[in-house]
Amino acid sequence: MLEVRGLCSGYGRARVLFDVDVAVRAGQVACVMGRNGVGKTTLLNTVMGLIPAVGGSVVFDGVDVTRAPTHVRVRSGMGYAPQGHETFAPLTVLENLKVAADGLPRSGEAIEEQLELFPRLRPLLNRRAGLLSGGQAQQLAIARALVAGPRLLVLDEPTEGIQPSIVAEIVEVIGQVAARGVAVLLVEQYLDVALGLADTVTVLDAGRVVHSGQAADLSREEAARLLAV
Amino acid sequence: MRTVDTINQLLAQLPVGLSIGAVLLLAALGLNFTFGQMGVINMAHGELIMVGAYTAFVAQAWVGLPSSYALLVALPAAFAVTGLLGLALEAGLIRHFYGRPLDTLLLTFGIGLVLQQLARDVFGAPNVSVPAPPWLAGGLTVAGMHLPYARLFILALAAACVAATAYYLSRSRSGRRMRAVIHNRDLAAVSGIAVRRVDAATFFLGSGLAGVAGVALTLIGPTGPTTGTNYIVDAFLVVVVGGLGQLRGTVLAAFALGLLNAMVEPWSGASLAKVVVFAAIIVFLQLRPQGMFTVRTRALT
Repeated sequence: MLEVRGLCSGYGRARVLFDVDVAVRAGQVACVMGRNGVGKTTLLNTVMGLIPAVGGSVVFDGVDVTRAPTHVRVRSGMGYAPQGHETFAPLTVLENLKVAADGLPRSGEAIEEQLELFPRLRPLLNRRAGLLSGGQAQQLAIARALVAGPRLLVLDEPTEGIQPSIVAEIVEVIGQVAARGVAVLLVEQYLDVALGLADTVTVLDAGRVVHSGQAADLSREEAARLLAV
Repeated sequence: MRTVDTINQLLAQLPVGLSIGAVLLLAALGLNFTFGQMGVINMAHGELIMVGAYTAFVAQAWVGLPSSYALLVALPAAFAVTGLLGLALEAGLIRHFYGRPLDTLLLTFGIGLVLQQLARDVFGAPNVSVPAPPWLAGGLTVAGMHLPYARLFILALAAACVAATAYYLSRSRSGRRMRAVIHNRDLAAVSGIAVRRVDAATFFLGSGLAGVAGVALTLIGPTGPTTGTNYIVDAFLVVVVGGLGQLRGTVLAAFALGLLNAMVEPWSGASLAKVVVFAAIIVFLQLRPQGMFTVRTRALT
């Protein structure tokens, strides 16, 4: 579903990513891991087109989208929930979902689907998103990324700073989404969450891939060694 | 006795203050979009107001519409003319200066000078006057206060523009998109919104409202190449005092400044009234730099 090959990117002259390869198949969860500052978020932002790629290619569903603007990628079926459970704070929960669902043939049904996936959001529909707790905001952020029915879901640390009970709910939703055939590209710091969900694992260090393979082949000890600070 | 006199005097200034407020509000409403929401310091906004005023002049003097309904034609025409002018400026120039506020300020200041000179070349340097429609002549006298119809019309026009803006932002699909882009561009892009197109639409609306303000100004004074320049500083102040991008803040600030100006003026004269208003704004912004209203969130920053 997603093929990232030889991707290089960065900010101005500062290179952050060197020759990164990542692939995600439909229905699978590909987890990108690494210490702070190794380029995980930069990788996701480059995949989504928020940062221009300096080299390499991003191919989504057989189409090269390396130069496509972000909204075109999103409309072609790539959904993204950025780091830090970002929402449109001045808009209500319902408006947050509508913004992403506008223009869909059945936007009402699409929003209803998300409310079934995240029942906690239903009583909060008319609350401004800026007033949500971290966990609620993260659920809204994922629902917003899912509402257009993407075939690829890109998530940046969806469990960061969120209470354990909601982490469990989010993990369950990610599993359900993948089971429906959506490809999931996940950046995750918590080893348990990552290894519990992932089909494949890619470990980054200093902007390069230092490990790539099936999650089942990666022992906890090996993972801990690769991620050691 | 003295207190009663003072109160009567203040009351007599009330309609004056409201009408100054309404003019300020019309001038600031467009800036609420381009400056308050997009953060573009558009010094040419005053010249867009001027272009709107000349649109009203052209409708009567050149096209030859009778003054009885020229005003009603000029309002939408000025909205379209200045909106398209703003759109062209955004697409051709201002877009390339996003994220560079000082350069934008200089650029738009230059655009303003060019537009002023163009107006001088086309319409001549002396002021022109645009006859008000006959049905706006005269006024109401309520409780000893004289309310000219022209001022009441401006008040109603300002109210209508605020209502339309509020409805557009809160109820329409494209207004929702606009708020989303203004709050967080990247998040809007990853929600499938074409952010550049929304920028252009925001600029069109803000500039179009400047045109409407210009038409309103023809009702209360002569039109000249520097007509808009007199309002640009006040309009920026209204947006800053109200809180960036906050519609209700802009409304309150416009009337607060208008009333303050009108209340102080009879005692101090026009120049000193201006000083008092500016001093009050400085004190207010020292105490509350974010303006009257801000978007409240649980985030600490």
